[in-house]
Amino acid sequence: MIKFLAAYRPLIDLFLLQSGYALSQYIVLRAGVFSIASAGLAAIGAYVAALLTMRLGLSPILSIPIGAVAGLASALLISWPLARLRGVYQAIATLAFVQIVLSLNLYAEAVTGGAMGLNGIPSLVGTWTLLPVLIGVGYVVTAVNANKLGRAFEAMRQDEAVAASLGVSVTLNQSIAFGLSGAIAGLYGGLEAFHSYALEPNQFGFAFVVATLSYVVFGGRRSVLGPIIGTAVLVALPELARPLAENRTLAYGVLLMLVINFMPRGIVDSLLEYVHRRRMARP
Amino acid sequence: MLTISNLSASYSGIQALRGVSLDVAQGEMVALIGPNGAGKSTLLNCVSGIVAPKAGSIRLESRDITGQKPWLVSRSGLLQVPEGRQVLPEMTVLENLRLGLTALGTRPATYPLARVHELFPVLAARSAQLAGSLSGGEQQMLAIGRALMGAPRLLLLDEPSLGLAPVLVQQVFAALQRLNRDGMTILLVEQNARQALEVTSRAYVLEQGQVMFGGRSADLAQDPNVIALYLGQEQKRETFGAKPVNGEP
Repeated sequence: MIKFLAAYRPLIDLFLLQSGYALSQYIVLRAGVFSIASAGLAAIGAYVAALLTMRLGLSPILSIPIGAVAGLASALLISWPLARLRGVYQAIATLAFVQIVLSLNLYAEAVTGGAMGLNGIPSLVGTWTLLPVLIGVGYVVTAVNANKLGRAFEAMRQDEAVAASLGVSVTLNQSIAFGLSGAIAGLYGGLEAFHSYALEPNQFGFAFVVATLSYVVFGGRRSVLGPIIGTAVLVALPELARPLAENRTLAYGVLLMLVINFMPRGIVDSLLEYVHRRRMARP
Repeated sequence: MLTISNLSASYSGIQALRGVSLDVAQGEMVALIGPNGAGKSTLLNCVSGIVAPKAGSIRLESRDITGQKPWLVSRSGLLQVPEGRQVLPEMTVLENLRLGLTALGTRPATYPLARVHELFPVLAARSAQLAGSLSGGEQQMLAIGRALMGAPRLLLLDEPSLGLAPVLVQQVFAALQRLNRDGMTILLVEQNARQALEVTSRAYVLEQGQVMFGGRSADLAQDPNVIALYLGQEQKRETFGAKPVNGEP
């Protein structure tokens, strides 16, 4: 068992990190905001945390939370102009934000190291930090879902006009969802910086956007378990499909297509709905 | 309770309301009837803050709510049951009802869950079911129940009879009458003029963005003009049906 864990440790760490990004993406989608800004917000958190420690000698125990706050603040800042946009326009505007952050990281070479990125970040975050953090973040997101705020998010996702007619401030709640998403993305950006020695701008580019979106679409958008299970499957898949050699990415694509076509709510939500139906059908 | 004075508004470039004035007193149940395109929806959208009026004012008790944002209007106690029911289909019945609590803000609840369940027992029986799986009549009851959870001072209903079987319309209207007897102030917007005049004490007739008639519902139901314009359709249909088919083999 210990041997197994040791052999798969990088994979487990990758899963724990990506799950955090998936939750950041999940929380905006849950509130009906089609934002893909998580990549840019994670980059801000990662660079802020790494630079504070490398240039100013701040302890990571402080710089990682400051990275999360930077993610939160940036998210609140962009939520203001984004409140006027909906649906696909929100997606395009947030994609532009991701590109802007990426370009700034490339051009501000003196601070960020440009295309070479930052190297020699102390590696202080391991499995035993990532696991409790994921449990903590998962708990917070579950608690949000279970209270008034979660009900407001769910109502906004289903029908914005009805939500407003029941006293839900759509602008305010969208900003809260953005803020939460930004804080989680910033936190995980910081954790990743101190996990993997190095940062470079393209790590938080389009591939990141596609990956986090597919975790949530694959796993499900309602239950908190959805994005986490989605990440687990999609992170493990390349390993499981190793015998397919260079066709490994094909398996990834085929599985994603199958789920989108036959379980459009994602695997976890489709299963939960099936269980719910069964329970209701019983006399 | 609700005072609308001299309200004018345009909707996609057309002047939909031309100086509409109406009022609903505390404890009253008032109907607003009128044909399609008379401006009923624009009036409701003005009241709930979706459309900004060009002129005139809307007051809820002493508070001016003209042009306020929709979520603030509902928090001040003016709750709308939207047309076409609009329950949230992917939430359970109980979750839909709890969502209604958002409109409370800092005001105390007047219709807690137990009271809503007492008024609509079917909502208690179907508590854990997804709202999308309810029948049309049940969804209408859920939409009303959800508004009640937010302690309305004035309940505004947009076409509650739309798309419902006659027996369900009677049930929904009976529930509204019971609410009104318990002291709820209600403004009922309806195309189903005959039924609306039966259950309300006062009514307004809206046509081409203006209030054409206003008065006691019982009087309006007897008024020859109103009968000719809004209640005569059924009689017309009877004559037409009774007309003998002549000349053709």
